[in-house]
Amino acid sequence: MTSISEKITHDLFYPKFYFPLVLLVLLAILPTLPRNPFYEDLIVTSFFYGTLAAAWNLLGGFAGQISLGHTAFFGIGAYTSTLLYLKFALSPWLGMLAGACLSVLVAIGIGVPCFRLKSHFFALATIAFAEVLRFVASYWRELTQGGVGLLIPFKPEIENFMFRSKLPYAYIALALMLLMILVSYLIRNSRFGFYLISLREDQDAAESLGVKTSRCKLIALMISVFFTSIAGTFYAQYLLFIDPFTVFSLPFSIELALFTIIGGLGTVIGPILGAFLLTPLDVFLRGWLGGVSAGLNFIVYGVVLIVAVVYFPRGIAGWLRTWYEPFLRALPGAQRSLVKAKSVSVSASAATSEPSNPEKEEIQSPFFQVQSLNKRFGGLVAVRDVSFWVRRGEILGLLGPNGAGKTTIFNLITGFLPPDSGKVEFKGERITGLKPPHQVCLKHIGRTFQLVKPFKDMSVLENVMVGAFAQFKKAKETQQEAMKILDFIGLSRHSDSLASSLTTADRKRLELGRALATQPELLLLDEVVAGLNPRETEEIIGIIKAISNRGITLLMIEHVMKAVMTLSHRIIVLHHGEKIAEGIPAEISKDKRVIDAYLGEEYLA
Amino acid sequence: MFITIAQLIINGLLLGGMYALISIGLTLIFGVLEIINFAHGEFLMLSMYGSYWLFQLYGVDPYLSLLIILPAFFLIGLAVQRVTIQPILNAPPLNQIFMTVGLSLVLQNVALFFWKADYRTVKTAYSAVTLKTSGLMISFPRLVAFFLAMGVIAGLLIFLKRTYTGKAIRALAQERRAAMLMGINVYRTYQIAFGIGIACVGAAGAMLIPVYYVFPTVGGLFVLIAFVVVVLGGYNSLTGALIGGLIIGVVEAFSGFFISPHLKEAIYFVIFILILLFRPTGLFGRA
Amino acid sequence: MPIWGRSILLKLENISAHYGDVQALRNVSIEIKEGQIVSMIGSNGAGKSTTLNTISGVLLCSSGIIEFIGRRIENLPPHQIVELGLVQIPEGRLLFPYMTVLENLELGAFTPKARKERGENLNVVFGLFPILKERKSQLAGTLSGGEQQMLAIARGLMAKPRLLMLDEPSLGLAPLLVKQVFATVREINAHGITVLLVEQNVFHSLSLADRAYVLENGGIVLEGGGRELLNNSQVREAYLGI
Repeated sequence: MTSISEKITHDLFYPKFYFPLVLLVLLAILPTLPRNPFYEDLIVTSFFYGTLAAAWNLLGGFAGQISLGHTAFFGIGAYTSTLLYLKFALSPWLGMLAGACLSVLVAIGIGVPCFRLKSHFFALATIAFAEVLRFVASYWRELTQGGVGLLIPFKPEIENFMFRSKLPYAYIALALMLLMILVSYLIRNSRFGFYLISLREDQDAAESLGVKTSRCKLIALMISVFFTSIAGTFYAQYLLFIDPFTVFSLPFSIELALFTIIGGLGTVIGPILGAFLLTPLDVFLRGWLGGVSAGLNFIVYGVVLIVAVVYFPRGIAGWLRTWYEPFLRALPGAQRSLVKAKSVSVSASAATSEPSNPEKEEIQSPFFQVQSLNKRFGGLVAVRDVSFWVRRGEILGLLGPNGAGKTTIFNLITGFLPPDSGKVEFKGERITGLKPPHQVCLKHIGRTFQLVKPFKDMSVLENVMVGAFAQFKKAKETQQEAMKILDFIGLSRHSDSLASSLTTADRKRLELGRALATQPELLLLDEVVAGLNPRETEEIIGIIKAISNRGITLLMIEHVMKAVMTLSHRIIVLHHGEKIAEGIPAEISKDKRVIDAYLGEEYLA
Repeated sequence: MFITIAQLIINGLLLGGMYALISIGLTLIFGVLEIINFAHGEFLMLSMYGSYWLFQLYGVDPYLSLLIILPAFFLIGLAVQRVTIQPILNAPPLNQIFMTVGLSLVLQNVALFFWKADYRTVKTAYSAVTLKTSGLMISFPRLVAFFLAMGVIAGLLIFLKRTYTGKAIRALAQERRAAMLMGINVYRTYQIAFGIGIACVGAAGAMLIPVYYVFPTVGGLFVLIAFVVVVLGGYNSLTGALIGGLIIGVVEAFSGFFISPHLKEAIYFVIFILILLFRPTGLFGRA
Repeated sequence: MPIWGRSILLKLENISAHYGDVQALRNVSIEIKEGQIVSMIGSNGAGKSTTLNTISGVLLCSSGIIEFIGRRIENLPPHQIVELGLVQIPEGRLLFPYMTVLENLELGAFTPKARKERGENLNVVFGLFPILKERKSQLAGTLSGGEQQMLAIARGLMAKPRLLMLDEPSLGLAPLLVKQVFATVREINAHGITVLLVEQNVFHSLSLADRAYVLENGGIVLEGGGRELLNNSQVREAYLGI
């Protein structure tokens, strides 16, 4: 057992740790290097844009909500601190916080209704909102002096957030940028970060795993907006002049997004890279081409944007990632072994517990029941007066030809569709129409989807972790739990592979494992066996049996007769939205109505 | 009082007709290709410049220039679609948004580069002519523009309803896979739909130049209004765009008079946000 | 004409297809002779619709050959395949809901060849489905399920197909209508149109078929005459689990 100080000094020689430290030191020295105000300004501006891009990335990259109105909060920050300083002599440091808080409040007011909108419309709404603010700032002359703008008299003191030299500004901007990197990094590796990425990849799947998608989006918005607003105050204090046209400008909002896209959307370092690359480019272009003619630099921007979108959608960070590891390995010190925490290895036997016999547990009220469920879509009746119940520990098969209403029933139970009428009860509690779906997950009802929905941009392990985060808060424990689940479903060897690289059979296992990680008591499986070859079918039937042996109650929609007949304790059959038969497998396979429904009448004649 | 109201309604309708023409192109593009053309306003700006230069250099009357502008902008639309839109048809929404945003940035600044930020307009013999009837004053150029706009819109609606290509466009918007299976050349139809959308907004530019100023960023002003109209009318309804445009025109006239001309923009955005929140399908849209 | 004398209209040789990284079809080979009714059955997710979509050019196959009337079509765009006379009536009908019955039919005759004979075809189609003539100005989205299916079939016929592919035409229909649909398929075939029928309804589709293929997990597991397979115990086991 090595002591902490020994561990730190030991690790320090490993490239993975010392290289970023070296970069950090270089960054810290950077502002002291230039002798020329032009370059000093460039450095401040680069750090500044890095901060802003990283803040935008929290919402646009991690959560996938494209806002083209972030300038609104930049402007709120700038105007709030400036007005408070000019009118009430409040120190801009405090004004900065006030502005940030105001921005967050405004963001909540806008975000809550707007998150419902689909991406194109959300972007439009954010543009509209920022324009309204620009407009207000331009015309509310009594407050903001309108288009003339506000000038801050130069009184360099620390409490006025004004300095004679650019150096303090550079360090403040650097500090902000490093803070953003830290925040991004912490989020990325936390439960919150996992939830954000999962909801970006597939909102429905995320909800079914207990992710409170609306709340997560809102929090991401609030953090993003908080820092954007702080940057606005910084801007005001750096330039000592603000006007509506500049701080509420649409091109500015677009620039932020541009930096992030070029750098790498959704990565920690991407926005910074984008800002560092494009800011000097912008400044030079503006100086060089802007002198020739105004607007030429924007043409270049526009073309860069178009080209990036078509040819480099993953940005620089994606490309750099392939170089970074080999580069680290080439550095001195890479050969030393790293003191690592032992990863937990779990044997498969830990996963199984004694099988429970469903016959023994007779409960007074059914574990799960559905009564007179109805749902129509316009003229089409999808589910008509369907009632059934399930005992704890049972496996209930749900059969029926295509279009019989089976998946609709799943959606009605799990909060994806509201029932027109009827009752759903789980462990004696009414959960009819419970929504949004994450609430259903939190009641320990899990589900898989007919068309599997892996989080493609995450590894197999990370996918399962999203589910496991429903039960655990810390990344470490969650990772261990997820590894156990991967062992159970047989995907351990793929734990670090991207989910998008899995075969169909493995994706189905992943879907199972992910839902299992939420520790459901009732699990709804939607055509898990379909599309698998005989060997894969055998394997997955084995896993389903093992799940049942752990005491989890299963409700299975299936078409593959073999699976249904071998697994189910009982079966109900639906046809045209109605229940036409119920019983044990042996009875069902001989039931005339069932045979009619599936094969057409006179089949056995 | 009644005269004032009537005057406002007339002014509003005349203006609304232009808004309708600009917006109908946007609706068509969104309905068929499912992308929001953030660069729509820039095409308006370009056609205004086009019409301006045709007048300055060759003395072509703006309304006559329609004969050149309509086909020219159709072709421009085809080309732009092929080069910029086609590659990202199946890309995630983020990429689609930034493609047209990037396009908008490029076009605006190309205009800035060539023609500077000066405000320009076209003064024809009839630019200032006003018709006076029963106490109402009607601007002649605006009246002509209104009828031309209605003509183009009517032409478009008839085209979509009666011709095979038009029906193919409607079919594609309603059910893409089935359209493919009917033997409809999907990519070509997308191009044509985009081309028509640009031709419409191009026509609007030619009609606007006698009564408005053109400058490189004028597109931004109109496109935001167009978004409001599209959302109000229903993002997949062409008649919705027509009626929405007229409504917005009238609302603008009234709010300009009774409240303040400056608050026009604010009113649009308030309407916009309200619709997005409470009735996202708009007046005539289908879910 | 005896079967061995007829020419091969459609041939698939070792067709494989992928949805992204997932393999949906593996080495599928089928043969359809002119004038036949060929059936493809299999459970959900077996790859039936995928096969039709690959033939129609909606989905690109990753390897293999598709020949229609002796011509290689596996790389052609969908609209050209329709022009050749290979028409699919998709699963779920996919009508144009906000267009009238007549407009839907007219769109069915979109290809230049079909457009020329539009008038005639309309008469034929109205003869087969008189109820569509009654409802010709009604919006397609407002028709009942059975009427929609008829319209979908009629729309496909308007394209003057030599080979008509139907993807689960009995889906969601009441038993009586199902019978009608299959009777219609038989009648169409009697008019000389070759049919490829994809179905979950095993009894009807096998009774109707000259030849049938059973698809499972993207591959053909069984093939033979329709009646032959109807009595095959493997098929019964697959569908009844007994």
